[in-house]
Amino acid sequence: MDITRFDRVGKFLAVVRYEILWNVRKKKFLGMIIVAFALATLSLAGGHIVSAITGDPVKLDPNFVIDSNVGLGGFGFFLFAIVTVMNTISGEFESGTIVSLLAKPVSRTTVFFGKLFAAFLTLLVTYCFLIVYMAIGGSVIYGPQSNLHLVPLSLIGAVFSTLVWISIVLLLGSTFKSSLIAALGALGIWFGTNIIGSILGMLAGQGWILTYIPGSGNTGYVDGLPQVGILVSTGTDSIGPNLINYILHPSWNVTYYKINIGGPTPGQGSWEQLYQEPLSTVISTSIVVSLIYFIAFVAISWYLFRRAQIAE
Amino acid sequence: MEFAIETANLTKKYGSLVAVNNLDLSVKTGTIHGFLGPNGAGKTTTIKMLIGLLKPDGGSVKILGNRLGWDKPDLRSKVGYMPELPKLPKHLKGTELLDLYGRMYGMSKDEREKQVPTLLDLVGLKGRETDLIGKYSKGMQQRLGLAQALLNEPKLVILDEPSLGLDPIGMVEVRDMIKELSSEGITIFLSSHLLHEVEQVCTHVTIINKGVAMVSGTIKQIATRLKGSLAIEVEVDKLSETVIENVRKLPVVKDVNRDGKKLLIDLKTRDDARSEVSQAIAAAGGIVISISLRGESLEDIFLNLLDKDKEGRA
Repeated sequence: MDITRFDRVGKFLAVVRYEILWNVRKKKFLGMIIVAFALATLSLAGGHIVSAITGDPVKLDPNFVIDSNVGLGGFGFFLFAIVTVMNTISGEFESGTIVSLLAKPVSRTTVFFGKLFAAFLTLLVTYCFLIVYMAIGGSVIYGPQSNLHLVPLSLIGAVFSTLVWISIVLLLGSTFKSSLIAALGALGIWFGTNIIGSILGMLAGQGWILTYIPGSGNTGYVDGLPQVGILVSTGTDSIGPNLINYILHPSWNVTYYKINIGGPTPGQGSWEQLYQEPLSTVISTSIVVSLIYFIAFVAISWYLFRRAQIAE
Repeated sequence: MEFAIETANLTKKYGSLVAVNNLDLSVKTGTIHGFLGPNGAGKTTTIKMLIGLLKPDGGSVKILGNRLGWDKPDLRSKVGYMPELPKLPKHLKGTELLDLYGRMYGMSKDEREKQVPTLLDLVGLKGRETDLIGKYSKGMQQRLGLAQALLNEPKLVILDEPSLGLDPIGMVEVRDMIKELSSEGITIFLSSHLLHEVEQVCTHVTIINKGVAMVSGTIKQIATRLKGSLAIEVEVDKLSETVIENVRKLPVVKDVNRDGKKLLIDLKTRDDARSEVSQAIAAAGGIVISISLRGESLEDIFLNLLDKDKEGRA
């Protein structure tokens, strides 16, 4: 390794360190960690809560950990993305610290990707702690867990899913240079894709569109109609569980339905089968879609950051 | 290398507003060069173009002999920059900030361990280095801003209003520090609105107004170039018409105005004519209580120039 390359790596790591210190000292990030562990604890305590209500003993569940999606799920990933990177670019502009930072002999590309890498590392470490917590808690409460060797897939999926949201928050932050717009804009997109999109998709029979946008995606079922079958979400938020399901059940086919309002019996709806696809297609599509969004949004954010003029 | 900073036709526009207009600036190596101008003159915009934070719309910049390009960070490795009222990351401790910035300058661990405590001591932050910057006062943040500008042992230091937010003792310390840096051969480019500060520490000055460099050179050169502005103010006991007439008769005197016991004497020359005036007053029976030159200070030059600029544009 020549001196120049060593120098560049050193500068990159300095930016990473600078950003990680910022991340872990943010009150909102510490708050999010508390919320995440509270959600995970709630998820772990779910069996006991049901047991207390019904009076039945706690059901053992050997798949509790691998089904838990790091104990967070889609909205958890979204919230982590927001608290981790909503200030990453826009916060530097808002506070004016960007002036001193960019006056150093570090290229904007190094600053941008150093910050992104720091966000990735922060998430990875946080999710690792969450998964270990879920694995220990799950084993204690729901009995011995099977397929724990697949937990890393859950971790990879969770980081991947969060990175998609991170790229959206970064793009909004780089465009508007406002943390508030980055957070609220991303929240609007989350609501649009996950809630309104899902309802419209389900009712209009055009749920396949959700496969190609970030979020929970389309909803399909394996082994039967929605009431009895296993639910599979196709979106970027479900990469982890889908990867695990694919390893365990490579031959699964996912069937999609549409709800027809006003079925044969007045006041009841009916399910109309639309199409079917293998789980391998679902998982490969969600990975490709995630990569496309991530690369495109990060590239645009990087371009905007490189061009940004520091007038204030 | 004769010049540490050279700009040619440097221009920056914000929409229809021309913030910096064809600025030619030459800062000689080893000098303390003051950059003066009223608020909104284009000082900070110029400095930001020199650092690479703003992209010029026209013209060129050379820093330490190298032509500046967009996002070419290596040129900044020998430049220290302290922004106006520096905003530093509040989540870091003073010592952490300097250590991280040191890493960004490519300094080794040994260099950082030596330089960081030295600088914190130099700027008077010893004992507070492990506090978060968010807990620092404005003056302390200003001092830390100065320390980070000197971290890389720069050849050129650009200071944007370095005394802003400092108490009088801090201001004197900063001036002494600037002089000390200059004695080590470092070029200092100093933007300030404090005329007496510039006058006290700078060897050269550029005055800018509305994005245009109006004059540049040593303070003496500039004063000489701006003829007709030198005057003498004298307080006289036993002031009579005879005294006034006697002064008026002097060949160097252009006009004499009386204000109570004071005479304001406009001169035709920029030579110091105080002894001739004193003699003329004494010869007519007046007693000189105090006598001083006006129009020699940087403040006079500055105000004079801005007045002329206003008249020229009117």
